[in-house]
Amino acid sequence: MDGALAVAELGTVTLALLSLVGDRTDEHALAQRICQACVDGLDIDGAAISLLTASSSRETLWATDATAERLEDLQFTLNEGACMDAATHGRPVFVPDLHHSSQTARWPIFAAAVAEQTLVGALFALPLQWGTVNLGVLDLYRAAPGGLSQLQWRDALAAADTAALMLLGQRTDPAGTDDTSDAGGWLEHSFGHRAEIHQATGMVLAQLQISATDALARLRAYTFTHQRLLLDVAHDVVNRTLVFTEEMD
Amino acid sequence: MGQPAREQAVSDAFVALADTLVDDYDIIDLLDQLVAHCVTLLAADAAGILLADARGELRLVAASSEDAQTMELLQLQAEEGPCVECYRTATQVRVPDLSEVAQRWPRFVAAVAQAGAFVSVHAIPLRLRGKAIGALNLFHRTPGALPETDLALGQALADVATIGILSERAVRHGEVVNEQLQTALNSRVIIEQAKGVLAQRLKVPMDTAFDRLRRYSRHNNLRLAEVARQCVAGELNLDDLSLSRSPTGIST
Repeated sequence: MDGALAVAELGTVTLALLSLVGDRTDEHALAQRICQACVDGLDIDGAAISLLTASSSRETLWATDATAERLEDLQFTLNEGACMDAATHGRPVFVPDLHHSSQTARWPIFAAAVAEQTLVGALFALPLQWGTVNLGVLDLYRAAPGGLSQLQWRDALAAADTAALMLLGQRTDPAGTDDTSDAGGWLEHSFGHRAEIHQATGMVLAQLQISATDALARLRAYTFTHQRLLLDVAHDVVNRTLVFTEEMD
Repeated sequence: MGQPAREQAVSDAFVALADTLVDDYDIIDLLDQLVAHCVTLLAADAAGILLADARGELRLVAASSEDAQTMELLQLQAEEGPCVECYRTATQVRVPDLSEVAQRWPRFVAAVAQAGAFVSVHAIPLRLRGKAIGALNLFHRTPGALPETDLALGQALADVATIGILSERAVRHGEVVNEQLQTALNSRVIIEQAKGVLAQRLKVPMDTAFDRLRRYSRHNNLRLAEVARQCVAGELNLDDLSLSRSPTGIST
C-alpha cells in the first residue's frame, strides 16, 4: 500500500516536535525550535511563525532568516498574503509557484512585492489553530519553485497540528508550576482532540464569559490544583457536576 | 421498509449526495448527511465516521447521535477495534457478534458491553484506489452479519462521498491529500465547542445542542461549521436557536 494515505510512521518534523514536548521554554524559543525542525526536515529554505489575531496584535515570534522575516513584514504592511489568507480562512495555503499568477490571484500586491524584493519561488502557509482559537501561522518558503512531496506535505500538516497544540499547551499552562508531566499528557493520544474537552471548553467559556483559550487555561489550572486528569474534569463539567465561577480557585 | 419504499429511499439518498457534491459543499455537512442515510437505509442503531488526521490518528467527524454514550464508543474506535483495522487495510471489517472478538479488542468490546445496547459492528472504509482516508462504523442491537446487498449499498454511499472529497482536492492541486481533511477535523473541534456553549446557555443536553445547530444551519442554508464558529464567537443570537419546534418545512 502506498504510504501516503495509509497509517504511516510519523514524518521527521513531527517526530522532532514530539521530542520537544515537556521542555519548559518560552513562546519565542518554542517557535524557534518548530521553525528549525521544519527547515531541517522539509525541502524548504526558511520558516517563520507569526501570531495573527483578530485584534491588531501581530507579531513574528521567530523567522529563521532575513527572507522569512521579510515575507512576514510584507504581509503585515500590505495587509494581504498567503499567511493572512491561511489565518483568515483557517486552511493551509499552498503556492508551489509564486510567479504563476493564478495561484496568487487573491493577493496580487503581495505577490508583486515578493517578486520584486525577494528570491522566493514557493510559499506554504499553515494555520496553527485549535477549534476557534487562532494561534498564528507557520510560513514555509523555498527559493526554487515547486511543491512538496506528498509525504513532506503531510509531515508539515502534522507538524502544524502538533505545533498548535504545543503553543496552546504553553499558553494555557497552569501558571507558576514546574510540573511538566501535564504538558506531555496534553499531546498524548491526541488528548487535545477529545470531544469532551472541547465541549467543556465551550461550557466554561459560556459560564465565565471568557475566550476559548482562557476557558481551557481555567480547566487546566483546576486540573493541576486538584491533581486530576483533564479528561475527567471535562467529564464533570459536561455532566454539570462541576460549574466554574468567578470565585473558585 | 418495503421494497419499493426502500428503492425510493436509496435513490433519494444518492440524489441528495450528488446534489451536495455539485454545490459548494463542506465535508462535515456531507459526512453528516452520509451518516444519516446509512442509519436509515442499513437499519443501523448508531453510526459514525472517523477520518485520519495528518498524524494518521483517527478522529470522529460525524455521528448519527450526539449523545455521550455513542460519542464515547465512536471515539474509542479511534484507538482500538474494527475501525482501526478497516482504515489500515482499506477493507470492510464485519463483526457479526462482538462477544467473539473480546480477546482481540478487549477495551473496545468491554466498552460496548458496558454501553449495553450494541452487539454487532461493521466498518466500511472511505477509500479510493486501495487507500483509506477513514471509515464508516455501523452499530446494531441485533447480532448477525449485514446482508451483502446492504454492505454493498453502504460501500457505494461511502464511495460517492469519498470521491467527492478527494476529487475536490485533486482539482486544486493533485499532490495534496490531507489539507481538506485537516480543515474538516478542525471544524469538528469548533462544533464541539459550540455544543458546549449552547448546552450551557440554553440549559439543554449535548445532543439537543447539536440538533439546534444543525437545524439552524439547514434552515438558513449555512455551513454547520460556520454556524458553530459564530456561536463560539458570540455572534449568534441564541434566541434564534432556542426554538422548541422545527421551523416550518424543515424536517429533522
